[in-house]
Amino acid sequence: MAKNTIKKDSGFGVAQLILLISIAILVIFVAWPVLLILFNAFFVEGKFNSFDFYNVLTEPETFQALKNSFVIACMTTVGSVIVGTFFAWLVTRTDLPYKTFMKSLFLVPFMLPSFIGALAWKMLLSPHSGYINKMWMEMFNTTEPLFNIYSYAGIALVEVMYLFPFVFIQVCGALERMDPTLEESARISGAGLLTITRKITIPLVLPSIMSGALLIMLYSMAHFGTVAVLGIEQGIYNIPTLIYEKIHQSAGSFASIRTGTVLATVLIASAALIIWTQQKILSRGHYQIIGGKSFRPMELKLRGLRYPLLFFCLAYIGFTIVLPTVVIFLVGGVQTYGLSITDPANLSLDNYKYILFEYDVTRDAIFNSVTLGLAAAFITMFAGVMISYVIVKMKVRGKGILEFLGMLPFSVPGSVIALGVILAWSGAYGINIYNTVWIILVSYIARYMAFSLKANSAALEQVHDSLMEASRSCGASMWQSLKDIVIPLVKPGMISAFFLIFLPALRELTVSIMLYAPTTRTIGVAIYTLNEDGETVMSTALAGIALILIVLGQMLINHLTKKASE
Amino acid sequence: MAKKLSLVVMMLMVAATMLLAGCGGGEKKAEKKADAPKDGKKIVVYTSMKEVLIKGIVDGFKKANPGIEVDYQSAGAGKLMAKIAAERQSGKILADVIWTSEVPDFYKMKKEGILATYKSPVMKEVLNPFDDYDGSFAAARLGTLGIIINTDKIKEAPTQWSDLMKPEFKNGFAVANPALSGTAYMSIALLTKQFGPEYFVDLKSNGARVGKGSGQVIDDTASGELAACLGVDYITNAKIAKGAHLKVCYPPELLMVPSPVAIFKDTQQLDAAQKFVDYLLGAEAQQMVANQGTIPVREDVKIDPKFGLPSPKEALEKGIKVNYHDIIDSKEKIVKDFTELMQVKK
Repeated sequence: MAKNTIKKDSGFGVAQLILLISIAILVIFVAWPVLLILFNAFFVEGKFNSFDFYNVLTEPETFQALKNSFVIACMTTVGSVIVGTFFAWLVTRTDLPYKTFMKSLFLVPFMLPSFIGALAWKMLLSPHSGYINKMWMEMFNTTEPLFNIYSYAGIALVEVMYLFPFVFIQVCGALERMDPTLEESARISGAGLLTITRKITIPLVLPSIMSGALLIMLYSMAHFGTVAVLGIEQGIYNIPTLIYEKIHQSAGSFASIRTGTVLATVLIASAALIIWTQQKILSRGHYQIIGGKSFRPMELKLRGLRYPLLFFCLAYIGFTIVLPTVVIFLVGGVQTYGLSITDPANLSLDNYKYILFEYDVTRDAIFNSVTLGLAAAFITMFAGVMISYVIVKMKVRGKGILEFLGMLPFSVPGSVIALGVILAWSGAYGINIYNTVWIILVSYIARYMAFSLKANSAALEQVHDSLMEASRSCGASMWQSLKDIVIPLVKPGMISAFFLIFLPALRELTVSIMLYAPTTRTIGVAIYTLNEDGETVMSTALAGIALILIVLGQMLINHLTKKASE
Repeated sequence: MAKKLSLVVMMLMVAATMLLAGCGGGEKKAEKKADAPKDGKKIVVYTSMKEVLIKGIVDGFKKANPGIEVDYQSAGAGKLMAKIAAERQSGKILADVIWTSEVPDFYKMKKEGILATYKSPVMKEVLNPFDDYDGSFAAARLGTLGIIINTDKIKEAPTQWSDLMKPEFKNGFAVANPALSGTAYMSIALLTKQFGPEYFVDLKSNGARVGKGSGQVIDDTASGELAACLGVDYITNAKIAKGAHLKVCYPPELLMVPSPVAIFKDTQQLDAAQKFVDYLLGAEAQQMVANQGTIPVREDVKIDPKFGLPSPKEALEKGIKVNYHDIIDSKEKIVKDFTELMQVKK
């Protein structure tokens, strides 16, 4: 009895404290910067002014960027849905040869940073000097390029190539989990394949497709790299690239910050709308129809098409992954941009040598990216466990606030976070970490909090309270049961959160490009600025080195996670 | 109870992480502060000169002045000025020395009183393109811009600025974005002064466009994406040295843009910064400037004839003259008009 009352009293205090800390973390890292953006967008000289907001929004430049973001996002989404769904169907519902291998191949694009892909495609398909276009023009003796990558279609195509796995994964999962008896009963009742597909399969998979599509839409709208590499020179700006231009060309001037905040506000609003729609779709209950159990789905016999389709898949991978990677490594070896890459006389390892051993920025950049990635992953992992614990396990008053705040990281795109931390941490409120590596760390924490929350709450949800109670009733001490029951069970979630953050942080560009200073370049920034400076071959050489790092990192992680799960 | 403890543990973990991060920060900052006065000197140079030029000079300076560390940031003049503006707002300019090619910026900074005056003893040995020299800034290079052609695409080298209206340049000529590049901005101002604003209207009607930075237009010309561009001498010469199919062509009206160097008033390392300026104006650094294929400010330095450059004195005489004061205030307008004319925002 006595114990009980003690628990109640002290538990109350600790719970409240934990809740407060969790709220504080989310407020400081995420909510406050976002609020500052909204405040700066709507308040002029301390007064509310929505008219001015409207004015900025309708400036031709701003409006065009909004439109571009929207158009590119729509094209990318549609393209990714088609590509992702088709391949997902191929590897789950047909008798395509080497299916499991093909499935893992289709996930490789996730590893390739899209701005490096964009760089490669610039070299392959820029209208007058792209290697493919040059070959085409020589072959057919024409001055018209085959395809101009510096266009909306070009940007969208490149984004599709590297983003479609979002849809692919979701749809694969849905198709695999779908109860085949539903389709079988339709077939028994006499429905043809088309009818089954139209009336059973598609409606069942649609929520997954939609949710993947919305993810891509959100990502593409706020995506910096591809548009920056392929669009800016042709005057194609989207929201993040315009914010970047504004901040970099007239930093500090009120008008540019304002335009930035207005654009960011639009991004926040669209993100909120997208997330809301996604929740709506997901809550419509498709998970009840698609059971959690694994079935062996009916497979369509491809017959004569088996090998042609396999060839098609391989060709697609070859074209979107192998070709750009090869071009990156080849151009990285050319002495100067414009020389032929097929002539071995032009190729050497000099650029790689220079980048690795003489170019001081490289060392800085690799060091910054790795330490930032580790620090962000570490901090975010622990903060994520704590916040998820409160949300999932604790019953405490005021939790609603935390639940709401916990949603926030999911809907705040990178470029918004970057602008927010500039407003929050560059001295206006007492702390000035602008131009230091800390401001990048702060923004990484905000940017990747969502990943950690997702992984950790998923892990925590699987730990039933009864496990702890059981161990306690068997006489284990609290520390013991925590150490032996909860932590081991949550560990996979924590580990996966760690890597989910570390790897993307390693190649981050959108946030760091807005925040870097002379000595705080990250790998992504170093590649991007070299390219911007017109050192194309150097930037591709560095990109090649970065690719090797990323692949090695991924392999190490696969190895480690395999070990951990064994 | 169990819950309580687990909570405490987690809280502790988070607190420890945060503390660790915080401490790390404190330590590092403290280290930096302790560093600076101890081994004496570290200066930061902001420059629009590319790696090929600045690295050699910085290395040479470090060799000549052991004990002085130099960090430099190489970026377009527009970006650097934006950076400086942001740094001023947050209270402290990180750079000690600035060396770009955007002369009006220096007059502006001088007016705003953020430059230290330093009349280097080396000044009497060098050429000075500024009539109103008062020690606020001194030219450390006389940059030139020419018509850079891709020799695979343009067979007949242009000799006049008006040659750019010829059909072989149609849709294939670009000027770097003046908002990013100081030299691009200066050359637009100079060409406008010489030929009037109609010159760019004519260029536009021949399909000329705005590129990105001063380096990128040249790389695009080397790759054949562009047939030609308005480009900076040494950046092009560095690429030619590596085998790029490029050529620099100089019409008689020479685009000569001095690149001034200045020291910021707030510098904590005045002595080291002054030493850097002395070194930069000295024969050794100026020889490096000349070796990269751009014009030094010293007559006693040899320029390789393969670059086709005039001597420093000739460059001063032949260069299009402009009153820098006149173009300070019109900068934003020039940039805006030019971008609006040339860039089709989609």
